[in-house]
Amino acid sequence: MKERKFGEPLLTVENISLSFGGVKALQDISFDILKHEVRAIIGPNGAGKSSMLNVINGFYHPQEGSITYKGQKRSAMKPHEAARQGIARTFQNIALFRGMSTLDNIMTGRVNKMKSGLLAQALYVGPALKEEMRNREFVEHVIDFLEIQAIRKTPVGRLPYGLQKRVELGRALAAEPELLLLDEPMAGMNVEEKEDMCRFVLDVNDEFGTTIALIEHDMGVVMDISDRVVVLDYGKKLADGKPEAVRQDPVVVKAYLGEAH
Amino acid sequence: MEFLYKVTIGPFVEMFTYPQFFLEVAIGGLQSGVMYSLVALGFVLIYKASGVFNYSQGVMVLFAALFFVGFIDKGVPVILAFILTMGVMLLLALGVERLVLRKLVNQPEITLFMATIGIAFFLEGLAEVVWGGDLRILDIGVPDGQWEIGEMLIQQADTWAALIAGVLVIALAAFFQYTKTGRALRAVADDHQAALTVGIGLERIWFIVWSVAGLVALVAGIMWGSKLGVQFSLIFIALKALPVLILGGFDSVPGAIIGGLIIGFGEKVFEIFWGTHMGGAVEEWFAYVLALAFLVFRPQGLFGEKIIERV
Repeated sequence: MKERKFGEPLLTVENISLSFGGVKALQDISFDILKHEVRAIIGPNGAGKSSMLNVINGFYHPQEGSITYKGQKRSAMKPHEAARQGIARTFQNIALFRGMSTLDNIMTGRVNKMKSGLLAQALYVGPALKEEMRNREFVEHVIDFLEIQAIRKTPVGRLPYGLQKRVELGRALAAEPELLLLDEPMAGMNVEEKEDMCRFVLDVNDEFGTTIALIEHDMGVVMDISDRVVVLDYGKKLADGKPEAVRQDPVVVKAYLGEAH
Repeated sequence: MEFLYKVTIGPFVEMFTYPQFFLEVAIGGLQSGVMYSLVALGFVLIYKASGVFNYSQGVMVLFAALFFVGFIDKGVPVILAFILTMGVMLLLALGVERLVLRKLVNQPEITLFMATIGIAFFLEGLAEVVWGGDLRILDIGVPDGQWEIGEMLIQQADTWAALIAGVLVIALAAFFQYTKTGRALRAVADDHQAALTVGIGLERIWFIVWSVAGLVALVAGIMWGSKLGVQFSLIFIALKALPVLILGGFDSVPGAIIGGLIIGFGEKVFEIFWGTHMGGAVEEWFAYVLALAFLVFRPQGLFGEKIIERV
């Protein structure tokens, strides 16, 4: 594997704590994500992985701690602000617009790239029309990249699971994000689909230079494609480091396999 | 036997024997159908963008019509009265978004539905306090005569109303389908959370959609108001929109249009050709019976999205 170069931290979370009533979902979590890195967050079910992602993209507001994104420190942001700041994401149990076509779904990803006013759109004239075409071109590019030309006009509700996941990735990519959050992108997929998804993730990272943070509970897949791994269990950080190191960490092994009795 | 003939084959024989009369009835039906579509469209817009059945849509029609006719009675020119009333509807949209919807983000749909019932009572009360409860005549100078084409009589005012409603409906359908905001509206309707993630702000969308619903209510209010007079019973034309919605599907703009046309056409033709043999007044219930049949055989409506849950 060739030497990979990373930049400054794009996102740093410091001492994040989040609880729901008495349940402590996250306790004092700190880590950073470097520019151009593929960063994985792993852990058994209920470890707090999705909560962590929801904190980063603003669905949850942590009680303690701070998030520094692109040099700006804050305690929380709103989801649509996060989107405007270049954070895109996918969901564990797919959140697509089921009634809309693949093309329209991916077009919604461009919403923050399109600036024309309501009136111009309503009249469907001049700049609004050009803008629509320009963005459509980019979306076609994404569609080609993900190899989903054949389902452009299909309502996504009718697509099989694996393809829906791909469309959701497409919608996130259409926003040209700086930070892409993937919540269990391989969950529920067969081996072939998993391989495809891995390839897309790596290609996105390579070709677009997008920083990627992904959640998985399947250790095998993660170790192959990520540069650094954070391990969570019961809302606490267990380990953080290169995949090879994390894999051999006795604490991690214990969390995954349980203790010998 | 004779009765059986009169309600089965008889009406069709009559239709073929007097084709011009049939055409006249049909056109009349389609004209009122377009006006049903317009009211139904108000429901569809809000349902599409927030998944809420807006109980107050009927009251909004009355509310808009009362302000419009109120301004005109004060001597304001028609165009200016329209703009002023639209301003009132924009304020209403803003108020609903700020004071009601924003507080209820992520609440169950039934909560939002109850909130719209509250809005309905509030608007009804407000309209009565401001303008009083009397019947007001609305005349915006649409020609009131009839055209004679062959042996057919076509109402001019109804034709104009249908034309304007038609244009509005088509414009809105295109707006929903082909623009960025239209797409954002459909996205919000489909999945709030996903919409937020791609960067669509709910507040703005809700303001837009309630404003558009306000515009639709205003146009519907003017049309029904000039046909029936502006009175509190206008609220009940919203009831006619319900079968239209069941036929067309709650989330479909084309569905609202086609549904309205089918109901308008169906009830007029049924009234004239069947009703006379059945004691009349079938127009009153035809739409609801048709809707009931749809609920049994095609509950998602003609154009509604059929949701198949993965189990």
